[in-house]
Amino acid sequence: MAYYVNRNVKLTWWERSFIPEIIRGMLITSRHFFKNLFGFVPFFLGKKKDREIFTVYYPEETIQFPIAYRGRPVLALNEHDRPNCVACGLCEIACPAYCIDIIPGENSGKQNEVERYPVEFTIDYAVCIFCGFCEEACPEEAIFMSDQYDITMLDRKKMKYNMKQLLVPVSELKDRMDFCRKMYGKWNY
Amino acid sequence: MWIDLAITLVKIFFILAVTVGFFAPILTWVERKQSAIMQDRIGANRADIMGFTALGLFHIMADGLKMFTKEDFIPQGANRLLHTLSPIIALIPAILTFAVVPFGGKYTMWGQEVNLVISDLDVGLLFVFAIASIATYGYVVAGWSSNNNWSLLGSMRTASQMISYEVAMGLTIVGVLMVYGSMQLTVIGAAQEDFWRWGFFMQPLGFLMFFAASIAENKRVPFDAPEAESELVAGYFTEYSGLKFGMFFMAEFIEMVTIGAIVTILFFGAWHIPFLSTATLISMFDFLGDSFANLIVMLIHVGVFFGKVTFFIFVQMIIRWTLPRFRYDQIMKLGWKILLPLSLANIVVTGIVILALN
Repeated sequence: MAYYVNRNVKLTWWERSFIPEIIRGMLITSRHFFKNLFGFVPFFLGKKKDREIFTVYYPEETIQFPIAYRGRPVLALNEHDRPNCVACGLCEIACPAYCIDIIPGENSGKQNEVERYPVEFTIDYAVCIFCGFCEEACPEEAIFMSDQYDITMLDRKKMKYNMKQLLVPVSELKDRMDFCRKMYGKWNY
Repeated sequence: MWIDLAITLVKIFFILAVTVGFFAPILTWVERKQSAIMQDRIGANRADIMGFTALGLFHIMADGLKMFTKEDFIPQGANRLLHTLSPIIALIPAILTFAVVPFGGKYTMWGQEVNLVISDLDVGLLFVFAIASIATYGYVVAGWSSNNNWSLLGSMRTASQMISYEVAMGLTIVGVLMVYGSMQLTVIGAAQEDFWRWGFFMQPLGFLMFFAASIAENKRVPFDAPEAESELVAGYFTEYSGLKFGMFFMAEFIEMVTIGAIVTILFFGAWHIPFLSTATLISMFDFLGDSFANLIVMLIHVGVFFGKVTFFIFVQMIIRWTLPRFRYDQIMKLGWKILLPLSLANIVVTGIVILALN
């Protein structure tokens, strides 16, 4: 049986004649049109904030992510041109996707030299789930989540980044490092 | 005689260049971009040549190229001949209606009278309707011949909608014919030189009804039940690909131009500028000599005419992106129960007023 939904809409005869209401609707769309026309046309003149339309012209312009954003994990390269990493393997264990692969190396025990270092450090971005557990697990401030997210390759093998590709100077990771100290320090790690 | 032939050829070339060469491609871009801006989006802007996008204008070329290179698909069990023929039947009448559409008045230059209409038929308005209704065959045959349920449903809807609205449209026009006393489009256009004699002031109700009926004839939103993409996949052209689909598309856009032109001629003073008669306009340019004055006035009038046409195309676009689609029974109700009685009443009232004034 057909039933009728009471929508509590009582149209006046003015609204039911449609013509004035259609003209009202057309005025609304036209207003949007003319307002946006001048906000949108000179996109090459101004940045996103100057426009009415919120859409970002993606490849040409990008937005600044907040510092808490988790992009691809990178390794920190310290002032002595060595990775901060000591190849303890905690990130390898913490990783839920098993995308980190570390081959550790050991020094002979000379003075003023790190005892352990990674011979090879591989992250497979095809497997990585960008969870940030490696960063949380790291005791040496060696691995950080960057704000890069556009990792696209035509070959799956190229998604495996070796240590040379992963290393980023520590100066570029200052903000994220401060953020991590603040966040993880709170929980008494 | 050779001069007449040359003038006619120039006029034909001009009309083809304006409709097929300019309006049809540009409108594909305008529709995408205008709807985008209207809905706070950005719209087509990815096709580029050497990193230069020209606000997405290259999408016209990209679309054309894409349509040329697509497979020309004929479904199994389809009638091959009719399937190929129907886009042509749909497109040709759309272009053909421009044979009787005047885009300017009569001008005398260097002893030669130029009448800016390709063929000045006595029954111009009837010719437009006759030719436009041939296009219905194209759509119906397209749906029937492609052996697809959606197509067939779309074409049935097309047939019923076109027939219903052609009645209302024809009766609406009768009021205009009674006011101007002629079916010749050039005469109707020339009669509207005085601003207060424009068809809009003579037949305001007629204008609204004619506009609604002609949008329904063109099967655009709010009346796009024949190609309703959320109900029937694409209606009658579901099974068409490549340039055949492009022809249906082009027919729709050219019909938009036709509607704009007919509305302009019947209701909005054709090529005349408000409060500026042709004689005053010619006398303004009299210092250039009679022929040159006529030439300049002719160019101004053609510009004004196509300006008005562009405005009405723009209005059609705004309507298309403002209103939702009518339900099928609502379309039929509007056509038969509202537009038809109203247009009959319009004729009666117009007749009484004309009688009273005489």
